[in-house]
Amino acid sequence: MVNLLLTLSTRHRRWVFWALAALTLALASQLPRITIDTDPENMLPVDHPQRAFHNQAKETFSMHDMIVVGVVSENSIYDPATLTALHSVARFSAGLDGVIAADLMSLADVDNISQAEPGTIRFEWMMKTPPETVSEALAIRDQVADLPLLYNTIVADSDQAAAIYVPIKDKNESYRLAEQIRGHINSLDSADDWHITGLPVAEDQFGYEMFVQMGISAPLAGLVIFILLYMFFRNVPFILAAMIVAMATVVITMGLLIGLGFTVHIMSSMIAIFLMPIAVVDSVHILSEFADRHKPGDDVKNTLADVMRHLFQPMLFTSVTSAVGFLSLLLTPIPPVQIFGAFVGFGILLAFVITVIFVPAYISALKPATLARLSKVEAAQGGRFARTIQGLGKRSGRYAKFWVAAFIAISAISVVGIQQININDNPIRWFKEGHEIRVADKVLNKHFAGTYDAYLVLQSKADSQQLLVNAMDKQLSNAALTTKTRNWLAEQRDALLGDMAAGEFIWNLEDKLYEVKGAEAEALSELMQSAEQLGSNSKTFTSPAILAYMDGLQDYLLTTGLVGKSNSLADVVKTVNRELGSGAPEDYAIPASAQGVAQVLMQYQSSHRPQDLWHFVTPDYQQSLIWLQLTSGDNQHMTAVTAAVDTYLDTHPLPAGLELNWAGKAYLNVVWQEAMVEGMLASLISAFVVVFVMMVVLFRSLVFGVLAMLPLTLTISFIYGLIGWIGKDYDMPIAVLSSLTLGLSVDFAIHFIERARATQAETKDWQSTLSILFDEPARAISRNAIVIAVGFTPLLFAPLVPYITVGVFLASIMAISALVTLIMLPAVMTLARRLIFKTEN
Amino acid sequence: MRILTLLSLLAVTSVLPFDRAQAQEITDPHAIAKQAEIAAYYAGDDGRSAARMMITDAQGRTQLRQFIILRKDHSDGGRQDMLVFFSRPADVRDTVFRVAKNIEREDDRWLYLPGLDLIKRISAGDKRTSFVGSHFFYEDVSGRGTSLDDFELISETDAHYVLKATPLDPASVEFSHYEVRIDKNTMLPLKSRFYNAKGEAYREVEAVTIEEIQGYPTVTHSRVKDLVSGGQTEMQFRFTSYNLDLPDSIFSERSMRNPPTEWLELRD
Repeated sequence: MVNLLLTLSTRHRRWVFWALAALTLALASQLPRITIDTDPENMLPVDHPQRAFHNQAKETFSMHDMIVVGVVSENSIYDPATLTALHSVARFSAGLDGVIAADLMSLADVDNISQAEPGTIRFEWMMKTPPETVSEALAIRDQVADLPLLYNTIVADSDQAAAIYVPIKDKNESYRLAEQIRGHINSLDSADDWHITGLPVAEDQFGYEMFVQMGISAPLAGLVIFILLYMFFRNVPFILAAMIVAMATVVITMGLLIGLGFTVHIMSSMIAIFLMPIAVVDSVHILSEFADRHKPGDDVKNTLADVMRHLFQPMLFTSVTSAVGFLSLLLTPIPPVQIFGAFVGFGILLAFVITVIFVPAYISALKPATLARLSKVEAAQGGRFARTIQGLGKRSGRYAKFWVAAFIAISAISVVGIQQININDNPIRWFKEGHEIRVADKVLNKHFAGTYDAYLVLQSKADSQQLLVNAMDKQLSNAALTTKTRNWLAEQRDALLGDMAAGEFIWNLEDKLYEVKGAEAEALSELMQSAEQLGSNSKTFTSPAILAYMDGLQDYLLTTGLVGKSNSLADVVKTVNRELGSGAPEDYAIPASAQGVAQVLMQYQSSHRPQDLWHFVTPDYQQSLIWLQLTSGDNQHMTAVTAAVDTYLDTHPLPAGLELNWAGKAYLNVVWQEAMVEGMLASLISAFVVVFVMMVVLFRSLVFGVLAMLPLTLTISFIYGLIGWIGKDYDMPIAVLSSLTLGLSVDFAIHFIERARATQAETKDWQSTLSILFDEPARAISRNAIVIAVGFTPLLFAPLVPYITVGVFLASIMAISALVTLIMLPAVMTLARRLIFKTEN
Repeated sequence: MRILTLLSLLAVTSVLPFDRAQAQEITDPHAIAKQAEIAAYYAGDDGRSAARMMITDAQGRTQLRQFIILRKDHSDGGRQDMLVFFSRPADVRDTVFRVAKNIEREDDRWLYLPGLDLIKRISAGDKRTSFVGSHFFYEDVSGRGTSLDDFELISETDAHYVLKATPLDPASVEFSHYEVRIDKNTMLPLKSRFYNAKGEAYREVEAVTIEEIQGYPTVTHSRVKDLVSGGQTEMQFRFTSYNLDLPDSIFSERSMRNPPTEWLELRD
């Protein structure tokens, strides 16, 4: 089979070259169609129930995506110059296409509810025109400080900061809008500090930096690998084979991903840099062994046949195990992680296929003179690198007991560390410290009650629509109705079961009441009464008891210290009630009756911004939203808030007939993190089992199967133990590493054990076997470890933190697992050689 | 100008609508505006109407408001008293809104909230705030004084005048100008479109149905649209009647807590 493949590829090498070139070019043509996706929401499938609920809540309560513009003044923002600038920026932003001007929030856009003179109430713009004097500016401070919904949200209680919340229609426009706003701010010549942030801005910025990463890191990885290979082989035409495999693999895989219509998310943007070093690994084995074996004058095809016979099976297995590690990511419920796993897995198998077909064809096409230079280098290189590796081999054999004890100790310490792992993430920390977005985030959260949003959505479980339909059914069977009226009523009933609102039915019924007379009119009047009664009863959130419950929950949240501020319908009601009453703090209370609440709210609706009410309650008063402002976007923080609410619910049960659900970006991040942690465990376990079974099959031995799994088990435990000990948060990039580490680091064990068995079969003496193993085989393993480890280091230059984390950890994992393989396997095999080689001898 | 106003006033209130010859005499845009104001807000010496509103938000969700309006003019185009009694939704029933419209100074406005057992004066100030959550402003209900804008006749056909109104105090309003099309027959404003600083129309108030009641052309169905969000409010008037001889005494604080029920009976 290997021979046939070799014959075909070397004999028809022109075909091989052209086919590879054509395939690569065809898929390269798809690359320009790339679409970037930076929406963290897409970490969950579109139809994920909590994501769907979040989006429904956002729509129901018109909670748009917002650009947050903050101005920070050294002394006080209540100064004509600062407020004039703020006014100008707010007006400019409101005028931009793509901004939902009606919902823009700033001092220049909100209403002041006040008592202009005793006994009166007044709605007026807080700052229709900028103040001209300091005392006018200070008057604004006094007014806004009295409005709990605005204080610490659009102005800071430190008096040093104010914010403009700019709601936008399409978050993909946020970068353009933020740039326009920034340009306007710069034209103002303001002495204050201005910051622009908000999730959509961060996402857009993220997308831009992802491109930078792909543009810089991937080519850099290519360059680094090229330099490394050159140092190993000192022969450009020879190592081009590996480079071509890497390039073709990356281009075909990415072209396929884009061509199939997948978006490039943060995960898939790393595909290129993952594939680059992994794709060259098989070529390095071939090149390494070829360089070792080929002597001037040898027939190239014979050497190649030798090499391929030797390497085909281990390369196939290492490729499949690596692919399995990545493919196991398909078990996570996170679509971008699935796509990443699937395409890297595919890419690894593709690299294997390209390697076994293309590399022999390529080498056979090289000039004999080129190949002749190889052996010289290989001989000359024998020097220091080889001696180091040999030394390692001696030590691992000689101090076997010590090493095994050490590994057991490390495992134990690691297990303790793993138990201390801190699961946490925060998308804002995906930007580096000092990035303008992180600076803005820090500054604004220092001054305000928090820029991270979570929503508590309360809703009535009662189906008032059904009750109304029941009332209609009752009248439909009333003999007093004429056929015409009955038909009309039946139509209305159907419409109500469709999407007609109860209010519209009341409207239509009223029309009908003017047309009918006598018994019919009585029947319909009765229906009207029921409909109105049901309408009133179904207005859950005008109930003073329910508002008081919400108020109590909010007070409790404030005492936990986890929530900067919360805003709800209860706050609206209390504020307006106060201004309708004495204006004094004792009237900051919920009216005693539902009618009182409804009338207070009708007054709130008599402002310049009646639609603001619908951020907190739906027009049918059956759903209400409590907006929580958090000063940190840490998932841990959000998890603590949900736990606090659960505790409160235990001692203060929800009023009957209500249900409570969470929404909001901060909450959604927790949802996908939890899904990911669970999914990663499933993926790790399944990859472990699959790889273990493959090892047992490959070596046709349970003992060798276990042996092969030892180094990677220790490596993974060690790395995650280390993460636990040093207190690094277990976040998205860290989570992804586990299963792919498994697939990559088992490669070293496969090559080592395969060679150990073959050598032991020849020498029948373990000491000589060890000495031979630490010659070419150990050198090839070390070379590959270095190629992969160093190949990932360009990620260190990436502008975004998750890439750096992945780079650092993968490089160390590769180095550690190669080292562990080269020390642990010989040590364990030395101690247990009787058991291990029992069958062989 | 005063004479012209008086003349035009006669044209509407006594001579009655379909006398085109009279109407076509007017060329002064301010006079046209004033006459339109009188046609729209001062029909008869007093009047009563049952009104209902359906407020539809951008998401298609609705709210209802139902109320009876009593109005009495002290002089056409001059002082005016108004009472608004809410009946629906049930939880705001008996809420009362009272306006004493002044010419020389700001209107006086009061509010009675039965749920809080409270009468409150609404401080003088901006009248371009929402009327009980609808897309209509208070000013749409009580009428925007013609002295607040500068008018320009921008086009005229056999049937219509089109005026462009520019606010004298731009800082006091949210529009940069509005255009109003006035029917020459009835002198009623048919459609007003409001424009923002960028020159984009964002709000439209329209008379959908005009009926002749006791000889007065009366808007019985009007609609205001938020052209940006897509929300709108429909307002319908029923049982409109004029010249009821409403007594002055009912336009008082007393009527807010104790509605003059005999004047609120609709089926006659």
